[in-house]
Amino acid sequence: MKSITALLLGTLITGLSCHAQNKIEFEEYDLSNGLHVILHEDHTSPIVTVSVMYHVGSKNEEPNRTGFAHFFEHLLFEGSDNIERGEFSKYVENAGGILNANTSNDRTFYFENLPSNMLEMGLWLESERMMHARVDIKGVETQREVVKEEKRQRIDNQPYGSIVSEIMKRMYKVHPYKWPTIGSMEHLNAAKEEDYIAFYKNYYVPNNAILSIAGDITKKETKELIEAYFGPIPKGTKAIPAVTAVEPPLNGEIRDTVYDNIQLPAVIQAYRMPANGTDDFYAVSMLAQLMSQGESSRLQKKCVNESQSAMFVGAFPFALEHPGVTLSFGICANETKPEDLEAEIDAEFKKVQEELISDKEFQKLKNQIEANFVSSNASMMGIAESLANYEMYLGDANLANTEIERYQKVTKEDIKRVAKKYFVKDNRVVLYYLPKEETAE
Amino acid sequence: MSQRNLEKMKRIISTLLITTMAIGLSAQVTIDRTTPPVPGPAPKLNIGKAVNFELDNGLKVIVVENHKLPKVSFRLTVDMDPLLEGDKVGYSNMAGDLISAGTATMTKAQIDEEVDFIGGNLSTFSNGMFASCLTKHQDVLLAIASDMLLNPAFPQEELDKLKKQAKSALKSSKTNPNAIIGNVGSVLRNGSDHPYGELQTKAHVDAITIEDCKSFYNTYFRPNISYLVIVGDVTPDGAKELANKYFGKWEKADVPKHTYPQPKADWDTRVAFVNKPGAVQSVINVTYPVSLKPGDSDELTAKVANAILGGGVFSGRLMQNLREDKAFTYGARSSLSSGRLVGSFTAFASVRNEVTDSSVQEFIHELTEISTKPVKQSELDLIKNNMNGTFALSLERPQTIARFALNIARYGLPADYYDTYLERLQAITIADISAVAKKYIRPQNAIVLVVGNKEECVDKLGKFAKSGKVELYDHQANPIVEKVKKPLPEGLTAAKVYDDYLYAITGETSMKKVAKKYKKLKSLTVVASTKMEQMGQSFTVEMTTKAVPGMGKLEIKVLEMGMVVSSSVYNNGKGFSKNMQTGKSKLEGDELEKIKEQSMLDKDIKMAELGYTMTLLSIEEVNGVETYKIEVKDKGGDLAYDYYSIKDKFKVYSTSSSKGPDGEPVSASSELGDYKAGGASGIKFPHKRLIVTGEQEMDFKVSKIVANEKIDKEEFKIDLD
Repeated sequence: MKSITALLLGTLITGLSCHAQNKIEFEEYDLSNGLHVILHEDHTSPIVTVSVMYHVGSKNEEPNRTGFAHFFEHLLFEGSDNIERGEFSKYVENAGGILNANTSNDRTFYFENLPSNMLEMGLWLESERMMHARVDIKGVETQREVVKEEKRQRIDNQPYGSIVSEIMKRMYKVHPYKWPTIGSMEHLNAAKEEDYIAFYKNYYVPNNAILSIAGDITKKETKELIEAYFGPIPKGTKAIPAVTAVEPPLNGEIRDTVYDNIQLPAVIQAYRMPANGTDDFYAVSMLAQLMSQGESSRLQKKCVNESQSAMFVGAFPFALEHPGVTLSFGICANETKPEDLEAEIDAEFKKVQEELISDKEFQKLKNQIEANFVSSNASMMGIAESLANYEMYLGDANLANTEIERYQKVTKEDIKRVAKKYFVKDNRVVLYYLPKEETAE
Repeated sequence: MSQRNLEKMKRIISTLLITTMAIGLSAQVTIDRTTPPVPGPAPKLNIGKAVNFELDNGLKVIVVENHKLPKVSFRLTVDMDPLLEGDKVGYSNMAGDLISAGTATMTKAQIDEEVDFIGGNLSTFSNGMFASCLTKHQDVLLAIASDMLLNPAFPQEELDKLKKQAKSALKSSKTNPNAIIGNVGSVLRNGSDHPYGELQTKAHVDAITIEDCKSFYNTYFRPNISYLVIVGDVTPDGAKELANKYFGKWEKADVPKHTYPQPKADWDTRVAFVNKPGAVQSVINVTYPVSLKPGDSDELTAKVANAILGGGVFSGRLMQNLREDKAFTYGARSSLSSGRLVGSFTAFASVRNEVTDSSVQEFIHELTEISTKPVKQSELDLIKNNMNGTFALSLERPQTIARFALNIARYGLPADYYDTYLERLQAITIADISAVAKKYIRPQNAIVLVVGNKEECVDKLGKFAKSGKVELYDHQANPIVEKVKKPLPEGLTAAKVYDDYLYAITGETSMKKVAKKYKKLKSLTVVASTKMEQMGQSFTVEMTTKAVPGMGKLEIKVLEMGMVVSSSVYNNGKGFSKNMQTGKSKLEGDELEKIKEQSMLDKDIKMAELGYTMTLLSIEEVNGVETYKIEVKDKGGDLAYDYYSIKDKFKVYSTSSSKGPDGEPVSASSELGDYKAGGASGIKFPHKRLIVTGEQEMDFKVSKIVANEKIDKEEFKIDLD
């Protein structure tokens, strides 16, 4: 069942990343073209992470061109004016490094982990990508096929793989969170070369990006190299369109049934929740943790270990830049009806609305948060991403050091309060996932 | 001036020379972005040091101090010799799991509560334990870990749960080609009487008792053969105190040692095949045991040689040849691994059926090339660069240093084994690669193992074996002896075999009487059901077919949920289907034809009319029964194969493939048996149908057949609203 957790967590990138004791020192500044630079110097190991985070995700897409942000994550490995097609990854392989990228509703992130003498290689590759990436029809056609395979493998062919998209399309009516990051294959097919070029010119500009570097570097030399590689990249000529859509309240429960290629029915309840970084966001995150982190958490203990009505159960808050959702997700054990599992889950949420949690349980939540934060900064890659995330979402990279204080401010009463405020019928979408036709002769 | 700046100066000067009078040249760092930057000298790697000590009870402790994060982890490795588990394969794994499922004073639930409270992790397995948490909670965690290790309770109900899970896993591995090839490969390489070649069966799972688990734990879980690796925010002195406090009371005892003869590839090239009826891809392994143990002096050189062949990077020869050049596969790679008792080489890919033999040909070619001809300097350099970098990256994790220290201790490596790693890597020459390739890459002693569609692939593979023969195995690596095929009797035709079948199921002796019997059939209801297992849960799927002249219906239900998942209806030239996923739809064209045929009460005697042509092919043995194999071609040219028992004339097996919803070929096979009269019809129907599609296996049993009862016509109503 671990894969399901990974799936849900992986679909939207959580912004949880903070540090309890060891302070992350860093320096930040802007180039004249607007590129924001964050440098973390650490000589423990002779390695460096070079990363660029672009403030573009699926929410920036046109409604008839969904999937563009994620598609660019593929397209931008195709090469540039100075990098032949297919050579991008070879340079990194030859340097003994690794590279990858990922896309969320809110941003796109590229990185290379390299031995530290290869810093300049990383800067060259990323500046080529930002300055004059190869955006042409040949690359588009190749990557379209790859993305189709990815969709088949990760969503269509994956039991319960469509949960997030099925929830989001019912949860949002006006906000672009309503479509999935992988987008529509029809839209990708319909788009012309000039659509792709326009998207690149709009969003892949220095004034819409953060260059975050962590590892075995000397700041002076690194800054000179950054100026040399990224300085000449012109600032974007157009204003970057802001996403202004505001989703009105749900005002009433939405219920529906989805038939999927699965064996066991599942119950998904999704509640609207406040945006990442707001006070209530932290209380809601702790409530989700109370419900499902660890074998002794409330839903796990009740539904899986005691009544055994569920095979798996979990609650997942999505840390989004605009108001997002928390999912509770349970897979029925044999002979349990979805209605019965739902009633059990509801009863557990009701308990939090009516009774304050115990001091011991509250302390457990705090201990878990601390352990999570410490673990998330074990690598240079984790630190580079975490600094960039905080800067992009909340405008303050230093939250990598201080965000834990925001969790510490949450009280037991806050948890009860947000349970009453957000985890109510009128604020939720409920889906039953049921097995579709069995294959038989 | 540093090396890097020197390089840069050279570039600047050459740029100046080319452009002669560059105007407005920036005074700052200048770069040439048309070519990749030249890297500076490789950084000096500082491989952290581990501290080793031993407790009085013989427990060897390795400490890697790293205060970057306030976290600490404890990994216990019980370094026992691999075991032969005989008729209870898998008991040591279950024993390992059970160690964390309750102690003399704590239930599993209490343990969960305590570990969660401190935000920690704790798990156990057949050869050890892993625990991690923030440093400040280490005493709580270690107290639990120590209690598990010293006083495990081995609750029976937890063992029962594990046995149930093991049986589900066995069932699912039966149809998974990658599981099959892994299992059969390990038996063929090592022999089934070697710890690396034992396979678990259902009977083994049934035989395992709680006493077996306790006895395993008592015999082998001993400090004097174990290593405790402590990594993180801890000092060597602090670690010593913790180790003594929590692991010092663990009692030592003599642990039995086991030695085994080392498996050897003492054969010329062999070809082995496991049939997976209807498979659309062949999984290929070219594999054999190698005498390579951890720390052998040529281990690193062997790794480099294998990397050039296909061990990881995209630029490996196998990937370039089989994927980039020939497009036979999504990926082709090879692995050469050392092992404590014996090592192994495996080159592998999954390829489409029709290129199975061509792919084997390319594998053999690449293995032969690298073992007989020198590699190119550029290939060697790329691998050195890549391994150099990945070694440096791996050092970021303190766990890597701990792994190094553990390997040095376990395998008796020189103390500076990893300090000299990069020097040794750089010193490797083309001649060194040739020498190890000749020694370890041995196509002349390989087993070419293929799991795939025997019908379509096996014939062209014999030529790769020295003997010219293909060895056949089942999914558990039991050899299948194929009898020499008997020739078909002179003058026998498909029509005759088929008529005999009709006589057998009707009990008649002439076609006229057979036709009469079918004519009398006015209605038929058949109900069949099967249990399906998914994630440890079982469901009953029930399939009901109903037919009257000109009308028919097929309905599939999941009983536990009391719902109909799909139903299709045919009614005098019209058809529709209702599906929980896609809703209602009108059936047309091929789909309409299919449901029409399925609804026909007398389809069996109208095969020719319906456009089927049959050809008698051969005599084949199916599950121990001699059969006539008949090819059945439909109007559209699609093929199916039916197998009729020579002795009692019944159809006992059938395979077919068709296009699935997304155009991918889907194959199905059915085993038919238990022919009994269907109600008042006087016609015999198979009451047992074992259907396999893809990796799904469904064992349908007929629970009810009723003939000539009145069926309400409403059942066949076309309801498209």
